[in-house]
Amino acid sequence: MVMGDIATATDLLVIGAGPGGYVAAIRGAQLGLDTTLVEKDAYGGACLNRGCIPSKAFIHGADVAHEAGNAEEMGIHADPAIDMLQMQEWKSDVVDQLTSGVEKLCKANGVSLLEGTAAFEDEHTARIAHGGEGQGMETVEFEHAVIATGSRPIQIPGFDFADDPVLSSSQLLQMESVPDRLVVVGAGYIGMELSTMLTKLGTEVTVVEMLDDVLPAYEADVKRIVRKRAEELGIDFHFGEGATGWEETADGVLVSTETEAGDVSQYEGDAVLVAVGRQPVTDTMELDAIGLEPNDAGFIETDDRARTDVENVFAVGDVAGEPMLAHKASAEGIVAAEVAAGEPAALDQQAIPAAVFTDPEIATVGLTEDDAADAGFDPVVGEMPLRASGRALSMGESDGFVRIVADEASEIVLGGQIVGPNASEIVAEVALAVEMSATLEDVAGTVHTHPTLAEAVMEAAENAQGQAIHTLNR
Amino acid sequence: MVERTFELPDLGEGIAEGELVSWLVAAGDTVEEDQVIAEVETDKALVEIPSPYDGSVTRLHHDEGEIVPVDAVIATFEVEGDEEAATERDSSSSSADAEGSPGETAADAADTDAAAAGTPADAAADASPGESPVPSGRVFASPSTRALARELGVDIGAVEGSGPGGRVAGADVRAHAQGAGTPAGEEPAAGAATASAAAAETAATTTADSEAVAAVGNGTAEAVEQRESGVGAAAAERDRTLAMPATRQLAADLGVDLNAVPASEEREGEPFVTPDDVRAFAAEGSDGASGVASGVAGATTTEEAKSATEPVTTADERSAAETPGEGAAAGDLADRPGERVPYRGVRRTIGEQMAESKYTAPHVSHHDEFDATELVELQEELAAVAETEGVKLTYLPFVVKAITTALAEFPYLNASLDESAGEIVLHDEYNVGIAVATDAGLMVPVVKNADEKGLKQLAEEIRDLAERARNRQIKPEEMQGGTFTITNIGVIGGEFSSPIINHPEAAIFAMGPIKKRPWVVDDEVVARNTMRFSMSVDHRLVDGADAARFSNRVKELLAEPSRLLLE
Ligand SMILES: Cc1cc2nc3c(=O)[nH]c(=O)nc-3n(C[C@H](O)[C@H](O)[C@H](O)COP(=O)(O)OP(=O)(O)OC[C@H]3O[C@@H](n4cnc5c(N)ncnc54)[C@H](O)[C@@H]3O)c2cc1C
Repeated sequence: MVMGDIATATDLLVIGAGPGGYVAAIRGAQLGLDTTLVEKDAYGGACLNRGCIPSKAFIHGADVAHEAGNAEEMGIHADPAIDMLQMQEWKSDVVDQLTSGVEKLCKANGVSLLEGTAAFEDEHTARIAHGGEGQGMETVEFEHAVIATGSRPIQIPGFDFADDPVLSSSQLLQMESVPDRLVVVGAGYIGMELSTMLTKLGTEVTVVEMLDDVLPAYEADVKRIVRKRAEELGIDFHFGEGATGWEETADGVLVSTETEAGDVSQYEGDAVLVAVGRQPVTDTMELDAIGLEPNDAGFIETDDRARTDVENVFAVGDVAGEPMLAHKASAEGIVAAEVAAGEPAALDQQAIPAAVFTDPEIATVGLTEDDAADAGFDPVVGEMPLRASGRALSMGESDGFVRIVADEASEIVLGGQIVGPNASEIVAEVALAVEMSATLEDVAGTVHTHPTLAEAVMEAAENAQGQAIHTLNR
Repeated sequence: MVERTFELPDLGEGIAEGELVSWLVAAGDTVEEDQVIAEVETDKALVEIPSPYDGSVTRLHHDEGEIVPVDAVIATFEVEGDEEAATERDSSSSSADAEGSPGETAADAADTDAAAAGTPADAAADASPGESPVPSGRVFASPSTRALARELGVDIGAVEGSGPGGRVAGADVRAHAQGAGTPAGEEPAAGAATASAAAAETAATTTADSEAVAAVGNGTAEAVEQRESGVGAAAAERDRTLAMPATRQLAADLGVDLNAVPASEEREGEPFVTPDDVRAFAAEGSDGASGVASGVAGATTTEEAKSATEPVTTADERSAAETPGEGAAAGDLADRPGERVPYRGVRRTIGEQMAESKYTAPHVSHHDEFDATELVELQEELAAVAETEGVKLTYLPFVVKAITTALAEFPYLNASLDESAGEIVLHDEYNVGIAVATDAGLMVPVVKNADEKGLKQLAEEIRDLAERARNRQIKPEEMQGGTFTITNIGVIGGEFSSPIINHPEAAIFAMGPIKKRPWVVDDEVVARNTMRFSMSVDHRLVDGADAARFSNRVKELLAEPSRLLLE
């Protein structure tokens, strides 16, 4: 301990206040642990400040504008004007409301909040450096620690986020005006969501992707719908090209790409957004002081109790591995806190759902048909195309489907894939079915409200049983 | 590589069993000779069990929380040797003895395929002691059911589900925790009314049940061995079985163990049982001639015997058997809400000993007080000297000294009643137990031959024993052989107590705090340092008058403690 330090003792020290960390802290406090939460930047982490929430706010704004301006078929004629500064303000209000909510919740649950950067000194001590010069240090002695330091955008060679026209997703979400033209590097979920949003706000978007399709993690028939819609909206895709560098021009940037064969192309934009993925943050807390080091993929490895190799130290969220999603972070945070409190919790979820907020949305949970076969099941699949959904038609959105995958012998639901409006909401039911090991009959036998998109889940289950009413049974 | 079994070693004199508190290794772990692999709690101490081999653990034969008899096999190791590899089969089959639902079959396949996902044995190895493993294969069960399994320490991968498609229900997990195969609600009672085959089956199960229960008291070790050796050699040849859900339902309805049914078909190389197979088997069972039926009963017995080794069941049976008069009260309690904490380990040992003492020895208590002015002065003086030698001298060694001196004059207070021989044993040594409050509960390490030791040595020895009792490093033999016990109630607070004798000793002495109290000296009330103390004696050995005389002698010695220096 450094002389003059203030030393405090705590049962549970949580490093990072994103959806992994703040949830762990609140649960820890609920279970009677004296809990301290350290955040160096902003409560709510990437998700609330630079990720899920601001992106979804803009996506919603862009949808409102786009739909209003594209509803002639319904007899609506409008030409919405976008005031980006106003939209920023609205987004910031939403974010502030949520982040101050997190802070209040923590306090109300008795979590001690510390602002600063936490670094380990040993397996039971951490040093907190308060922001800014001369703000002082503090030592915290802990029984258990949870590392929830999240992730940051990956930079690629030749593109430095410190340069003005090179934007990370965080920087893009701070924009004060809608760019006229934007080059987007990466067609993963963040690239696709932001490209779609900007296109709807009027930006001419060029997407450069090294692989040969959008959204590599998804099945062909799932992403085909999204890619087709994106192309219809006017996004200009260039697949099989890697971005190699950029140069400044009179009115923006010129981004160079190269194919594997060595063909070079150049694309113009006001700026370039680099969205090629995120990497875990493991360099802010002096992991080596407790003898931990990240694995080859950069993550801190954990067991099924969210524990690292150091027995009293846990890691949760983006820093602890894929999928890098907020709800996964929170689920792990809860388990870490409960295990620290001596509860018999474990990470034994059957599935972590995932959603992509493109147009239309994609949401999946559990096994695909191929996954199920690979896992040794004899899968049976049922599908309901949204063309046959009264609700989808009445929303003017009939592209997409709901698919359910089950084990043929037991009829237990193993997974689902949904493409369509509000897919991110609909998937919750399938997630519950998977988690409960519900059977097709359980889902089909549950009466669903009409007319809703969720009915399609019931219909897909019936289809898998070969007894759907509104679709042809396969 | 050869397999070696390892039996629970001798835990100390006269100790027949211990509670397996925690495993420090899991199946699949590599261990070195002398590496501590388990902690076993006996009588009053936590004993670390070292590995006898260099090698790897293939199997742990007992769950944490079980009471394990000395000499019972607790682990199997694979050690370097000349025989052919007998390898993995054991470990993988033990952690994955999931009874066959189609889903689990598939999950098993997945395990073999996806090397990256890890085998069930790996999963078990990952889980640390006290935790039920998270199966790496898929188990059909709801989150609440999985949570229940974790709470009960059940490996949910090994539970056979009774729900649709083999889904595991909460009742299945509870039944598994208690060692029963099927949940109570789904016992083939219904079948008994309809089919005579089922009736016969049920009868067989019931008999097996009662046999197993009868075996609880004495046959734990045998039961375990039986489980290890030849489970199902007779009938339960498979540990999982392919069948349609409807067939499973039929088997459940008829009370037939699907794994014992001879299969007439094969699917993908695995035996596949049809509804006809189940019916034929059930029918055969009813006339009992084929030997299959007895096979089933045998399997059930083994299964039930296994339950006898589960602490939950054992405890239940025991309380039901031993406290017949309290059935009603226990019944009331069973419904009472509130947190439920397992009654085991040190807590239970203390409880059992106290009950035994209080119900065996009629206690008579005696309280007194003396002027401790001189004791305080002498202690201050000697403590200052002792401190220069790094020894902390408290009042306790003085009390020990006074007591051993007095005991020499009152042999019946340093005695035990040997009821079976009808004799009183007047001990020829003065072994003074010191009650120590620890996080785990009360422990009583014993200072052997306390009468032969000086104040400084007593101080050192007591400090060392108490410290090791608190961090549970004390050996069982260091807590045995006491002839008299001292407890210091003054440490925490209070003036008097009615201490319970540390059976089979004859008496216990409880010293209270020394503090200033009103005291009459030459007809004037003055403030004096006094000590109050309490004693309990076994009235079978000592009458109240003797207790009072002994107490007077102790008082005398402590009131003029310089005399002790002569002792
Ligand atoms: C544009 C975008 C959109 C996204 N959309 C979604 C979505 O729709 N759905 C979804 O589920 N996920 C989404 N995500 C991902 C989601 O944001 C992350 O998965 C989630 O934030 C991970 O939470 P976490 O708690 O692990 O870490 P973070 O939220 O990254 O929080 C970590 C916190 O730790 C702090 N920290 C780091 N080191 C230290 C230290 N040494 N001391 C103190 N504090 C420290 C950081 O300042 C940060 O606040 C999106 C991400 C982006 C970028």
